[in-house]
Amino acid sequence: MSISHESMVATDRRLPGDLAMWFFILAELTVFAILILAFAVAQWLSPDLFRESRAALDSSIGLALTLSLLTSGLFAALSVEQVRNDQSRRAAVLLAAALISACIYVVLKLNEYSHLSALGLGLEHNTFFTLYWILTGFHFLHVLLGMVILGWMAERCRRRAYSVGDCAGLESGVLYWHMVDMVWVLLFPLVYIIN
Amino acid sequence: MSASIVLILCWLGLAALTTTTVLLGSAGSTLLLGASVLAVALVKAWLISDGFMELRHAPSMWRMLLFCWPLVMAGGVLLTLAL
Repeated sequence: MSISHESMVATDRRLPGDLAMWFFILAELTVFAILILAFAVAQWLSPDLFRESRAALDSSIGLALTLSLLTSGLFAALSVEQVRNDQSRRAAVLLAAALISACIYVVLKLNEYSHLSALGLGLEHNTFFTLYWILTGFHFLHVLLGMVILGWMAERCRRRAYSVGDCAGLESGVLYWHMVDMVWVLLFPLVYIIN
Repeated sequence: MSASIVLILCWLGLAALTTTTVLLGSAGSTLLLGASVLAVALVKAWLISDGFMELRHAPSMWRMLLFCWPLVMAGGVLLTLAL
């Protein structure tokens, strides 16, 4: 009698990736939590300033940024499935697609940064933009690091360095990328949407 | 249902919810709309943690721990909006 993959997983709960990566993710989320709550408290103290400053941001750009990150996350998650199905080459292609989608995020974000800089809305303009640059800039650095990891994992997949029983490194790298996604999911409404 | 189909469904849900967020944001700036936007963000965070990060198959403690983060963030932001 065969036992399905799903039923085996249901009886044997497993944390994907390395435990160290989960502790790293928790530490990163704690830092982002401090920044997000600082932004929310500053908004509470100066609601009018935040409403006026937020008008300089384009929510449709925020939408495009979010969709590019989420699409990249989907490709990265699908790549793990392909390695588990012993299809490393397909996984490499999917990771390359994740990288391209992340590049769209980077281009859009750099355009937004240059547009705001041209308008004189830099780090020292007011409290909103100080927090905007710190919060989104810190997240942007995480995106860049994630892209390096995606590229490195794509190359390892191409060389068939991961296998069905040995893909914890790939899972850990992809988990980091999903953490970047999760943080953005909270940042996007806070920075671009909620008045 | 295969794992790949689950991931694609998660992405479709995330894309639809992201569009909903923008629509809610352009509808006005009441506390109810702000709370709705945060609730949508919470569902998106759950789709990422349970779907993309596969925490639905993980020990309950880790699942709860990762879901507590967006919950505390959304709660904190909502509190500052309501005060």
